[in-house]
Order: sequence, then structure tokens, then C-alpha cells
Amino acid sequence: MAEKQIKSTRLGEGYTKIEHPSGLTMLLCPMEGFSSAYALFATKYGSVDTCFKTGADGDFVTVPEGIAHFLEHKLFESEEGDAFSLYAKTGANANAYTSFDRTAYLFSCSDNFKESLDILLEFVTHPYFTQQTVEKEQGIIGQEIGMYDDSAEWRVFFNLLGALYHENPVRVDIAGTVESIARIDAELLHRCYRTFYNLNNMVLAVAGNFDIATVLESADRILKPAEEVVIERGQVNEPAAIRQKKVEQVLPVAQPLFHIGFKGTAGGSEPETIRNQVLDEILLEIIAGEASPLYRSLYDQGLINQTFGTEAMGSRDYAVTMFVGESRDPEAVYSRIIQEINRVGEEGIDEAAFKRCKKALYGRYIGMYGRVDSMAGLLLTAHFSGIEAYELLDVIAAATLESLQNRLAVSLNPEKCALSIVRGA
Amino acid sequence: MSGQLIRDSIGRGIHLSAVRDAKFKHNRLSANFVLPLAEETASDNAAVPLVLRKGFRECPDFTSLNARLAGLYGASLDADVTKYGGWQVLELSIKGLDNRFALENEDITGECADLLASLVLDPKLDDAGLFDPQDVALERQYLLDTIEAEINDKRAYAVNRCIQVMCADEPVSVRRYGSRATAEAVTAASAAAAYRRIIKDAPAEILFVGSGDSGSASRVFARRFARQERTPVENVKARLRTQAAGVKEETERMELNQSKLVMGLRTGAIENARDISARRVFAALFGGTPFSKLFLNVRERLGLCYYCASRFDVSTGLLFVDSGVDAANKQKAQDEVLRQLEAIQKGDFDDTQLGNTKLLMKNSITSTGDSLTGLEGWYLAQILRGQSVSPEEDARNIDEITRDEVIAAARAVTLDTIYFLTGNGEGK
Repeated sequence: MAEKQIKSTRLGEGYTKIEHPSGLTMLLCPMEGFSSAYALFATKYGSVDTCFKTGADGDFVTVPEGIAHFLEHKLFESEEGDAFSLYAKTGANANAYTSFDRTAYLFSCSDNFKESLDILLEFVTHPYFTQQTVEKEQGIIGQEIGMYDDSAEWRVFFNLLGALYHENPVRVDIAGTVESIARIDAELLHRCYRTFYNLNNMVLAVAGNFDIATVLESADRILKPAEEVVIERGQVNEPAAIRQKKVEQVLPVAQPLFHIGFKGTAGGSEPETIRNQVLDEILLEIIAGEASPLYRSLYDQGLINQTFGTEAMGSRDYAVTMFVGESRDPEAVYSRIIQEINRVGEEGIDEAAFKRCKKALYGRYIGMYGRVDSMAGLLLTAHFSGIEAYELLDVIAAATLESLQNRLAVSLNPEKCALSIVRGA
Repeated sequence: MSGQLIRDSIGRGIHLSAVRDAKFKHNRLSANFVLPLAEETASDNAAVPLVLRKGFRECPDFTSLNARLAGLYGASLDADVTKYGGWQVLELSIKGLDNRFALENEDITGECADLLASLVLDPKLDDAGLFDPQDVALERQYLLDTIEAEINDKRAYAVNRCIQVMCADEPVSVRRYGSRATAEAVTAASAAAAYRRIIKDAPAEILFVGSGDSGSASRVFARRFARQERTPVENVKARLRTQAAGVKEETERMELNQSKLVMGLRTGAIENARDISARRVFAALFGGTPFSKLFLNVRERLGLCYYCASRFDVSTGLLFVDSGVDAANKQKAQDEVLRQLEAIQKGDFDDTQLGNTKLLMKNSITSTGDSLTGLEGWYLAQILRGQSVSPEEDARNIDEITRDEVIAAARAVTLDTIYFLTGNGEGK
């Protein structure tokens, strides 16, 4: 069993990384003074993984959209009832989520950590579903999809992804569609499970009030060694250009909601992708942060309000930077943002703004190492991106004006920008 | 476990409460003003923290202020308006990195305290004592936008509408930002008048939570407040009806896939803190956990809704059951909710269910101490209730609630309002 101490000199803290004989990577970060512990057991498998094969499989298989999320729902059930009822005995707060590139099962607790961890490790490694339970779930998830279809915030985001991407499954709702989930059956679920819930493709991240020895004892007792697995994901034939410049939908909202998104260049190595994402966050802060001239002029003209914000997201084969908010005139916000990006492109990034925004990001990121939930999340994200959690701080500290100038051309290219709007009737 | 709350009087009707805990990497300082919630004043009051957030006399420019915050390692400055029972609470808060992480030995905590005190007590007013009309116009628009944007989140919208129908003649029905009409009426003069009234009359609660020293905050607020004329008014707690007089029903339509059913209930006379604890345990057992009566029966067993939960509001004593249902299942869901209430009233639950419910509650309560905002919100609510119970003590109080007390709490409940938000039949 390989064990390694990962330290941060900046923070004077560290965590332990263990390669367990079962194949599972464990990232364990006890945090002094905290009452609660937060545990995430996750697989590198999300809604975009719809085409794949393992070394043992002959051909690639294409599975229905929404199956990762469906599997998450089903895993939450065991023969003895759903996971919530198991956790009822320990008092832990439990949940699970599926995103584009991962599925995570989690709990937080201030007591009975060992019992809760046992439950987590047990139910995720023991799938239980039959054709009957699968059919019942199709109804429940159908309701969930209906609820999301009513959500203007959710729709404006997915409409944007649909405008930016032609083929990439990132353009489809994480839960899939009523039509796609109707094609899911127990056999397909088992195939996805066998492929992606191999412990070699998984990670356990724990932060807060717990002992490392407790985790090891549970892991040794519960986890059976997994066979080596090589997962190949189908290549997506995604053109560099976007699909459409503008997309609109009508839903009951007061003021129009907008997402202005730029399709970036994806496909680099994983560490490179996450480093670029952090650089993009600094860049977005420079362009549209609260201290930027753009923010000021949009605000003073009443074109944006406090809901305005920016975001950078990306993974293996997609990368998007976004400006989001509410506006009476989303088209005007769009033109002003494009204008400003062109201006900064021509005149270069202001040195003072660069220094200020770098410092701001640095302070905010430190905050993420200071809470049990965000620390566990950082451990997970960093691991799936092939880096250590503290490297994110190093990326910020090492950012240069030139590196951001380069990012500007890649991640804020006006040619690859789409505007998504949800308007009231 | 977090540190103890230390509460000092630093002026007339001004208290500074501090919780120090070395585990945090940031410090959060907030200035809170507590006012009676009233239709006539709600919007003017709500505009005040929003306008103050824009700058102060020595730093009148919004962009320069934001640049200073960014330079303070991304300190975040927030203006907020919340409701606590019949009160409106105005909050201006700043969260900054603790000094031990400063790269150039800056006193971030001291500068944050200075900034916040200047924003609150040294605003930019013109010679006539008015706020900047441009600032007020923008923030008035923001108030209007926020009031109208309530329909964007259908679940929250439905719960708010239920409160308004249920408490039409009680102050708690006033919305935190006021109404469209009162927000439209906000002017540079009315907002400035509200500001002066707040600074003169409203009890002020300054809270400091973090790993740093609250000394600089205490000194700067005491000094700045000393220059103000203060005649603080003691706020009277709003009394709500404790029993429903009959069941009100209201249905509203809009384009929607999933309908929202909200039931508003009154929970009887509350005499003491223990009565509140009993109601909290009852509400959790009823519909506050993933193994509650409502979740297991209405959602899991009968599949009538995607979510079905109950929430007891400590500040008003009101209980709400809210659910997302298919319009066709509304009556069935409603009947089943009441059947589950009856089950608890009859004592149809075992000690394991009760014990598990308390365990989950205690776990959530204790975890509050692990986040700055959690801890600040916790102690502000304690102060507003006139007590200072720590999360650990509260967890012990919850543990003491007996089966009989839960049954008694359930029996005190009466159904007041059924609010239903549903599709107009034209949607898909």
C-alpha cells in the first residue's frame, strides 16, 4: 500500500494520499478543530461518458443519455432499502450527485463516522437493481426532468451548451430526456457499473473530523481488490465552430435571464485543462469582475444587477467560459462584452487589474481549503484532473500577465460565442 | 466545537458579539439593524444597505471600492435583507482572509473593519443630506427586479405566496423587499430618511466570527457610533395567531410542468424554548428528513410527488408542507399529508424513528459550527430570540424531547391554508 504525505507550505497543512490494495485512491485530510467530517466516494464517470469500452470489450458501446444519473439513483437503493434509511441509524446527512464528468456519493456527519463510512463503501460497491425497480425509477426521474424543464436557470444554461456544441454530450441535460431514459434497462446499467465503478476508476476523499486509521480499517474490511481496467472513451467529433449564435426560450420569468458563453479549446492533458481553468477564472475577474470598467458601465446603465457573474468550466473534451445574469437587454450586454474583449485584446491587460485580480482569486481559493465540504470537493476535482489539491494555489501564485494574455485569445474568442436567453411570455 | 460567544455593549442599543475559532481561514464581520417589518417602510429600509454598499464619503466611487476589496485578497462585501418573524433585518457584511495568510503582512482584518464601519456610518450624502440619485435609481430597479424575479424559482415562490395568503393581516406577510408599489416609491430622499431613522433608532447587532481578533472591529464601531445621536427603540415581538380559524384555499395558474402544493399550518401556543424544540423535532419526523413520514409515504410509497417536505419556522411558529406534484395527484397528495399528520398525532411512530430523527437533527446542528456563515447566522438568530444557546447546547436540548412532547406538538397543529400553483393547461 503506497502512502504519501501531500503538504502545503503556504497553508501549513497537508493530507495523506493512499493507494489502497483494492485499487482505490484515498485522499484523507483530517482538519483540526472541526466538528464534522465530509466524505465523497466518487467515480470518474458522468453524463458525457455515453460511448466507451474497456480493454476486455470488443467494440465501443453507446448508451442512452442520462444513464450515469440513472445509475446514481439506482445505486442509492440496496436490498435492505434505500441508502437514506441506512444512514438514518447514524444521523449522517447523505446525498449523491451526477455532473458532466463524475458521479459522487457523499455524507457529512459529526458523530458515528465509522458506521456512516461503512454504509457508503458498502452500498456503492453492491449494486442492486431489477427490471421492476428500473421501471419505477423511470417514473421518478421523469418527474425530476419535468421539474428541471420548469427551471429557467437550468434551461438557460443547457440551451447555451446546445448552441455551443454540435455533438458533444455535454449539450444534453445530465438527467437525459424522457425518451432517452425510457431506453435504459438493467443490463445496460450493469455494463456501465462494471466499467466505471471499478475501484481503479474511483476515489474516496474525506476531510474534517475523523481518523485515518478508521478509514483504512473500513476499506480493508469492505473493499475487494478490483481488476485492472483500461477505459477508453469514444472520441467526439466536435467541430471547433459553434452551432448557433443565439438561442431563446420563453418561460415564466420576470426579467430575461442570459448566459453568454465562449467555446474554448479542449483536448489538452487533464492537468493542463484544470490549470487553464484557474487562469480563465482570473481572466474573467479582470474582464468582468466588480472592479472592472465593464462591470461598472453595465451596472450604471442598468444592464446588469447583482446576479451578474462569471464562470469557467471544462473537462476532457469541452471548455466553456460564461457571463451570466439577468438583464432587460441581453443583446446589449452581449455587444458590450464582445467590445470589451476586443478592446482588451488590442490594448493588452492592465497590469494593476492583473495584480489585484490575482490576489483576489488567491484569497478566495484559500477559503476553499478552509471548509470540510469544499476541501473534500477540491481533493476530488484535483485528483480527477491528475494534480494535487494545493497546486491550484500554486497556479494562481505563478500566473503571469503573458499567460493570461494568451488565454484571452483561446477562451474568449468572439467568433465562438453564443448568447442564450430565457424570456418571460 | 467552536468558541464561546462573547457579547458586549459598545454603545446605546449597540452590541458586538464575537466568536473566535482558530480553525477558520477568514473572518466575517457584519453590521445588522433590526426593524419592525411594515408595508410602508419595507422598501425604503431595504434600499439602505444596497445603497450603502456603493461607497462611502472618503471612497465614493463604486469601482475604487471594489478594487480595494479585490486588493484585500478578494474580501467580499455583501448587502442583505432578511425577515425574522415580524422583523426586517438589514445586513452589511464583509468577509476577509485572516492576517496570517497575507503575503505582505497587511492588516486585512483591521482594514475590513474600517471599511465596513465607514460604509455603515460615514455614507456619501450630498449637502442636502440625500443619497446619490443615480445610486438610488439603480438599487430601486434592483429591488423591483428582485421582487419580480420571485416567480423564477417556483418552489420558493409558492411557499411565499402561501405565507401571504395565510397571514394576509399579519406583519409577517410583508415581503422582505416590500411590494412593487412601495419599491417604485423609493427616492434619494426617502432612502436617506430611512437611513437616518435606522441609525438613530434601530438596535444594532455587530457580529464577528473568525480566527482573528475582533478588537479592531469593536473599537472602530464604538468610536464611529459615538458620533451618532442614538435613541434606540426596543423591538416588540410580533404575535401571530396560534390556531387556524378555518381552511383558506387558493389556486394560481402559470405555464408549468410540475405543480406546487403548499400547505400552511399553525402550531399552537408556544410558551418557552422547550416548546419550540418539540415542534422542531415533530416537523423533522413529519417531513424534515429523507426517512420522514412524508418522504417515505407521499414520495416513496405512493410516488405522488418529486419532493414533499415540512419545515417549521422558529421565527413565526408556522409550519409549511411543500411539494412538487402532478396536477392530477393534488388531492391525493393533500389527503396523504393530512393522514401522516394524523398518524403522528395518534403516536404512530416508534422510538427508532424518533431517535433517528433526533440523530440527524443533532448532526446538522453541530455541523453549523464548521462554517463562518453558518455560525454567524446561528448566533444572529439566537440574539434575535433573546438567547445565546450554542449549537452543542441546542443539540442536547433536542435530545431531551420526549415522544409525548412530539405527540403534543403534532396535536397542537391546525391547517390554515392550502395554496396550489399549477399549469394553465396550455403547457406541454
